Amino acid sequence: MTAATRKRKPTDEDGAVFDRELDDLPRELRWREWMGRIEAVLFARSSPVGREDLARVVGQEASVEMLIDDIQAELTGRPYELAQVAGGWMFRTKAQFSGAIKAAADLGEQSLGFTEMEMGVLCAIAYHQPIDRAGLREIFGKEISRDLLARLRYKDLIASGPRAPRPGAPHTFVTTETFLVTFDLQSLRDLPELELDPDERSAVLVCEQE
Amino acid sequence: MTYQSAAISNDLSSLPKLPDWVTSGRAETLDTVAFRSGATLTVLGQLVSDPRHGVPVKLLASRLALSAATATSKLEGRLAREADIRDAYHLTPPGETRGPDGDLLAFWREAVRLRLGGPGEIADLVGADFAREVGIWLDTGLERARTHGPLAGCMVVLQAVLQADDRAERVACLLSDLVLTRVLNWKTVLPVSARRLTKSALRDLNAKGQGAELAVQARILESIEETIQLARDLARRAKALRTVAPKLRAKGSDAAVDLFLTEDAIAPASMLSPYIYGTTIPMTSRAARRFCDRLVELGVARELTGRPTFRLYGIAP
Repeated sequence: MTAATRKRKPTDEDGAVFDRELDDLPRELRWREWMGRIEAVLFARSSPVGREDLARVVGQEASVEMLIDDIQAELTGRPYELAQVAGGWMFRTKAQFSGAIKAAADLGEQSLGFTEMEMGVLCAIAYHQPIDRAGLREIFGKEISRDLLARLRYKDLIASGPRAPRPGAPHTFVTTETFLVTFDLQSLRDLPELELDPDERSAVLVCEQE
Repeated sequence: MTYQSAAISNDLSSLPKLPDWVTSGRAETLDTVAFRSGATLTVLGQLVSDPRHGVPVKLLASRLALSAATATSKLEGRLAREADIRDAYHLTPPGETRGPDGDLLAFWREAVRLRLGGPGEIADLVGADFAREVGIWLDTGLERARTHGPLAGCMVVLQAVLQADDRAERVACLLSDLVLTRVLNWKTVLPVSARRLTKSALRDLNAKGQGAELAVQARILESIEETIQLARDLARRAKALRTVAPKLRAKGSDAAVDLFLTEDAIAPASMLSPYIYGTTIPMTSRAARRFCDRLVELGVARELTGRPTFRLYGIAP
């Protein structure tokens, strides 16, 4: 942040009262200002912002959903959109422009891509969390390298969960909010249904426990 | 050294129980369900409200929270078993992520700790998406309960929440429990709604299908009947524990016994040591282990997991 921008908003930083209601503005302008605030908050953050955080910058009576709807209406035809993910909202570019973004950043072929194995492990964790390395080994029939797990963790897609009740108390892996955002899921319930019949599914779970 | 195992008494004659004419019939119409629920709720109300019956209400609530978590986990399409959920909650080190199963149990454990005076707490628990409507839904439910009976009130809130979001099963069940608690004037929230519900029953209820309301009410009624069994059982086990309590001479054993009377599962390594949970009484991890082993020897508690390590102890079945 430059000195100039810091200077411009001294009142906010001193904890002066933030005017949510904007009673001095006519209705129309007030609504525009609220839309602007929400848009600004979302623009400034790279992670989803929840409803309660957004509600703090607009009037008590204002509906965050309606404001969001109005913002979305103005965004039609833009290359970015306001998406609802992981229980909040965030700005993101539309998928059709991914090529352009990659070309501009000169990412070439490396991109954000996952190897097939990384993707497989991530799926296994998503469906079977919390699961430890031994559990993953039973699913894949081989050791899952710590490096691979570290890469997933570095991308903030997985985190440490409860300890597994086995010798050595290894920690298990669970997925994170970033995981939901990355794969455009509202919650874990949006994971595609596994195509296994119930008996098989419980059988899979039982072998993992052993 | 051998200990004489304390007999868990079978003398239940003093505790209120369901008369045969309630348990013998089948719930075939809304009228029978309403009639039977009246009798059932009266008995459960007596059990949990009158301290003379010696029902450890907090323990009951904490056990029911685990059942509710297991039930809602199934409703949400996850496959966690009761033991998995309990492990996920109890084996997460502080500061780490609990994962979906542990979070679900945490949700229900917070639910049974709700103080009913504070609508703010309920709003915090159900999350911002529902915070605004919660008050209205509860009021509608209570109003309906006043005119049509408690279970009808539960139906109204279940429907209202599922209509707003058909994936909010846990919130729907929680609000249904809150309606029961308030109408019946219980001091603790007892999560009984979720326990026997199935996905299809809720789907029918949401679609206002024929007989859906009867099916759901009958399931909640069943769950309340089971809760009476559980309450009587826990009263018996609590009595056995209280009887042997004077024999326990470990430092802090009184506080530890109290903990066993409020929590359904206790990890000696984290909940009894270095300090007994909720107190400032210190206990070494060795003393904690010995204490739990002693309770098992005395026949008043049991090890819940069957594991040689990461054991969890409790007096509840």
